[in-house]
Amino acid sequence: MKMKSKRAILSLVLFTFGFLIAASFQNTKAFVFEQEDVDPDWERTFYYTQQLIDFEKQNQDLQQEINEVRADILQFENELVSSEEEIKDTVQEKIDLQALNGELPIEGPGIFITLKDQEYVPSEESIDDYIVHDRHVQLVINELYSAGAEAIAINGQRIYHDSHIVCTGPVISVDNQQYPAPFEIEAIGNPNTLRESMELDRGVIDQLVNEQIEVEVGAREQINMNSKLR
Amino acid sequence: MWLPLLFLLLGIGLGFLTDVSVPEHFASYLSIAILAALDTLIGGIKGYLNNEFDPHNFLTGFFFNITLAVIITFIGDQLGVDLYLAAVVAFGLRLFNNLSIIRHHLFNYYQEKRKKRIKNAGN
Repeated sequence: MKMKSKRAILSLVLFTFGFLIAASFQNTKAFVFEQEDVDPDWERTFYYTQQLIDFEKQNQDLQQEINEVRADILQFENELVSSEEEIKDTVQEKIDLQALNGELPIEGPGIFITLKDQEYVPSEESIDDYIVHDRHVQLVINELYSAGAEAIAINGQRIYHDSHIVCTGPVISVDNQQYPAPFEIEAIGNPNTLRESMELDRGVIDQLVNEQIEVEVGAREQINMNSKLR
Repeated sequence: MWLPLLFLLLGIGLGFLTDVSVPEHFASYLSIAILAALDTLIGGIKGYLNNEFDPHNFLTGFFFNITLAVIITFIGDQLGVDLYLAAVVAFGLRLFNNLSIIRHHLFNYYQEKRKKRIKNAGN
């Protein structure tokens, strides 16, 4: 009986001991596994953090590139603006020159000069002395150009740099277009300057009057001239 | 004699099978309890060899030591002092003490056996 009780007690103690040992062992193992579980977690975190850092660095680089490109664009735009202004100026100049050259219509204030044949002719033999010749017209035109006329027209036909004015009998031919007297010469330019240069003492008008031609000079607010037809 | 061993294996098997999971915070309680149990076992063996083994004393000592160790650890936890170190040191000292006594006993037992054998051979 005594022996049995002893055995039973020993068994109970050893059972408890074994249980404790096993539980502890398993617990420790689970704990170690947990730690091993933590490790890949940490590695993943590290990996993603690294990736994040890489991405941020990349972003920064790209941002810097964007800034540089923006600066380039700004500079380019400024250049464009200045070159556009230049082009604008150049185009304006071209238009002005074309207007002067006769390739474009032109309008503006100016003066007109009318040359008429003398109505009273003393003798038929000297009729040449009393009518308007091509040289008179050329004289007026040259004087007008000298005075700064921008464009000149005879009876509404514009004069160009290669125009010719000739006498053919009683009519004057301007670029093969014939006009009888009277001739109205229009000039666009500063009216005061043009008129004063015409009316100078011993000037063009004096000469024309001396050659028995009736001259009428006046200013016009607005004169329109067509462009050369090509 | 096989019954205690059988129960030891049974306890180990049950411990593995039940899959008890102690929270990490209470892991130290378990280890302290094991230390106390080990100490009591070694103490029991020593008592047996000294011929002063008392089963009831052994049984109460076993559970009382475990409970006390756990309580001390618990109090230490509450106070923020590592009191379980005291239990570890005390149990460790006693463990080695008892082990050395057991070793002495076993050594003496072996020596006497050998002397007997030589004596027998001499006769």
